Amino acid sequence: MIGALFRQAFRSNRVRIIACVLVLLLWGAVLPLIYASFGKTIGSFIRGSNNPLLEQFASFGGGDLFSLAGVIALGFIHPIAIAVLGVIVVGLPIMSIVGERQRGTLEVVLARPISRHALFSVLFLVGALILALLVAVQLAASVVSASLTGVLGELDVARVPIVWAMGLLLALAFMAIGFAASVSFDRVMPALGLTLVIVLVSYLLEVIGSIWPDAAWISDFSLFHYVRTKELLAGSVRWTDVGLLAGVLVLALGYSWVVFPRRDIAAPS
Amino acid sequence: MTQVTPAMATPPDPAMADAATADATPEPADAATAEAVIMVRGLGKRYPTGSRLSRGGDGVRALEALDLDVHQGEIFGFLGPNGAGKSTTIRILLGFLHPTSGTARILGRDVATEGLAIRARVGYLPGGIALYDSMTGSSLLEYLARLYDRPPVLRAELIERLELSVADLRRPVRDYSRGMRQKIGIIQAFQHDPELAILDEPTEGLDPLMQRAFLTLLEERRRAGRTIFFSSHLLSEVEEVCDRVAIIRSGRLVALSGIEALVARRRRHVEVRADGALPDLASVPGITDVRVRDGVLRCELEGDVAPFLAALQGCRVRDLTIEPARLEEVFLEYYGRDMEPAR
Repeated sequence: MIGALFRQAFRSNRVRIIACVLVLLLWGAVLPLIYASFGKTIGSFIRGSNNPLLEQFASFGGGDLFSLAGVIALGFIHPIAIAVLGVIVVGLPIMSIVGERQRGTLEVVLARPISRHALFSVLFLVGALILALLVAVQLAASVVSASLTGVLGELDVARVPIVWAMGLLLALAFMAIGFAASVSFDRVMPALGLTLVIVLVSYLLEVIGSIWPDAAWISDFSLFHYVRTKELLAGSVRWTDVGLLAGVLVLALGYSWVVFPRRDIAAPS
Repeated sequence: MTQVTPAMATPPDPAMADAATADATPEPADAATAEAVIMVRGLGKRYPTGSRLSRGGDGVRALEALDLDVHQGEIFGFLGPNGAGKSTTIRILLGFLHPTSGTARILGRDVATEGLAIRARVGYLPGGIALYDSMTGSSLLEYLARLYDRPPVLRAELIERLELSVADLRRPVRDYSRGMRQKIGIIQAFQHDPELAILDEPTEGLDPLMQRAFLTLLEERRRAGRTIFFSSHLLSEVEEVCDRVAIIRSGRLVALSGIEALVARRRRHVEVRADGALPDLASVPGITDVRVRDGVLRCELEGDVAPFLAALQGCRVRDLTIEPARLEEVFLEYYGRDMEPAR
């Protein structure tokens, strides 16, 4: 039974998975290519301009174009990556619970001998596996691209899995928030709206904090801030960051775990 | 099935009240001792009202103190207009909603704590069923069957009976008409041969031929010892296949009775044309509302027809019409009057 549910959850997302993999392959490969081709020139130009504002803007979200670690970090925080991962991070939890509830297919499944905990676990596991794949695809594409362009030597490849783990942890935390919203509403729009607001506000706080030194403190309120890709690639892991992201993940999952079975599943609308 | 259970409501008029009192005998010993397939006691559900401020109140009452027994091998009709509480009851039975009061047991298990074990033995057809549009009919049925431990032993037969072709089943569900979706819904509810089928408006969208095939299917399932609980507002189909029927209004049970008992208690419309003098029927038991006009006697007849026929003896009856009582009339009787349900 669980196997059938698991396969169906994958099957229903296969088009999204393929599309996201393709985009992230491309995206992960492009940035090291840009760095290898223009990174040093751009870096020299910006540093030579003696314009702190320009330099600050070039360090968007903790990433930059002047180092391989910087472009990998930029790849993580860039809106393209956020939007692509958001398809799963936000789309999967919203569409698989409140979306199915609103359509009426949730009750067709839950009329079978499947507990809401089992359904929730399967959906979260499927989402986690997809996100693990997507984050890995982006990083692998960057590593391969860096290797092909001859700049891989600037990177300690052994540290890439740490970046993968932290990127995945961040994505899982946001997905757990999406699940928490999904089990809390009877309609898609409030759940989707709430999740998007949390992700977008968090993103904006990180971006604004990173490009505006006087407001750097506001990025402490963003979950994105706690995946410090450049530091991770340099070998520095802050366990407080891990704890914070894991804490958000556990809290959001715990909330969903408690609330989902207790909520009424109203008739489809 | 002619007895009316003790849980039934007060009938809408004194004559029916008498009949109901007389009929309000306990269940037969064998039925009473064996636990019902569905046993509902004092079931209530209140939905919180919209605004946060008003949530402190009692909320909207959807169901109140519902008592119900459905026995094995029975086709049980659950009647009521939109918003009466039919779907709320069904959704509580399946564990989608949590009752605010009372208990419900299915196949001897508590719906609040043993939902998994219950749903393993139950088939469910939601009203206006939603399906996964991107899947084909056959892959959808296979997927839904795999969510049970029981194999889909009846699928092939049901597909044939409901006239779904192989080509139909290979098409994506998004291309299906409403009737075909309903057929898929019926098949997924019955394909694993459940001990109890809970069906919400099951013939919705089916053409008359398929409705006929479906009703025949229900009768066969009953003969196989399966139990069917279905809600409907198509009273003709309820009357045709159900052993007993419950009528619910504003969340309260207003009648629970065998179909025959329910219909038998209903007044019949009588029209008598005779040559010569018409008989005086005013004092005949069960006869009311006698009207004579243009040599035609019209009246209402309730209960036993024998006293009425006896009164006609000696009269040269040219034509006699006794219009059979329909469930629709009973239904309307229950809904047409401001009647307080019995508690």
